[in-house]
Amino acid sequence: MLKNLFILILLGASVGVFGQSKFISKNAYISFYSSTPLEDILGESNEAVTILNAETGEIGFQALMTTFHFKRALMEEHFNENYMESTKFPKAKFNGKIEGFNKDMLNAPVADIKITGLLNVHGVEKTITVPGTLGIENGKLVGTSKFKVTPEDYGIIIPAIVRDKIGKEMEITVKTTYLPFGQ
Amino acid sequence: MKIKYAIIFVLVVVLIGAGVGLKMFFKPHADISKLKSEFKVEANGLIGEFEQDENAATTKYSEKVLEITGKLASKNKLQNGTDLLMMEDEMQGISCQLDSSWAATNQATIEALETGSSVTVKGICKGYLMEIKVSPAVVVK
Repeated sequence: MLKNLFILILLGASVGVFGQSKFISKNAYISFYSSTPLEDILGESNEAVTILNAETGEIGFQALMTTFHFKRALMEEHFNENYMESTKFPKAKFNGKIEGFNKDMLNAPVADIKITGLLNVHGVEKTITVPGTLGIENGKLVGTSKFKVTPEDYGIIIPAIVRDKIGKEMEITVKTTYLPFGQ
Repeated sequence: MKIKYAIIFVLVVVLIGAGVGLKMFFKPHADISKLKSEFKVEANGLIGEFEQDENAATTKYSEKVLEITGKLASKNKLQNGTDLLMMEDEMQGISCQLDSSWAATNQATIEALETGSSVTVKGICKGYLMEIKVSPAVVVK
């Protein structure tokens, strides 16, 4: 407890020294998409929180599973109750680092990046490397990423009767506009 | 003759089944403005509960309809046009994303809201992520 407090104070102090050394968004967009013959499944959240450390290139994301919104109420229900078990695992998390990071990337036009880190979904943690973009667009720091995940890798069981009707992989899209954070 | 009735019976059962299935499939989202709130709380009290014991507060409030009264800290529009109200604190307060269909017909109410004054919203509590997330929400007064 005391150690945590110490780390917190240290973190606070370092933010103070380097000024704007973190970027944040509390309304990052995350979607997941899967195409089925019957209907496309699209779940979207505008409520993910992300922090980018401007000193180290470390990047963190967290999302509450219940904030994903679907066209149909039934899809939302199945997503939370049957697949993600949102009561048991309310949050999805990603903690990673931008490969080959240097501070200039935060002031340059949008360019391709690669991020490697731990993705924790449904209580299962896996190391992933995903492509993305980062840079200044219309005067603001913008980040995006698009990658695929296999539900079974995260212990999400889809009943056999519908399994072959849903794409094997789900496409995840992330979009965020960062704001400077912390004095 | 008997077979004919049996066929009709089976058909009726299948039709009812299909009807119920389709109805479930096309079930619309709940209209938040018509839902009854399960808890009426003060914004500061709610923030306090989440700060003290996030897990207990999440179990108590997650996916429940809350009516929350507190100070409006800021009023913004997200890039996708969603109205976002922050209560008590802009960074770590209560984030209320307004229901888009409600907001579409109630822009005057939203515009009349003044930061710094008291506001009451009703919405579904989603849990805690640096701030308390409430969505979708509507303005009660």
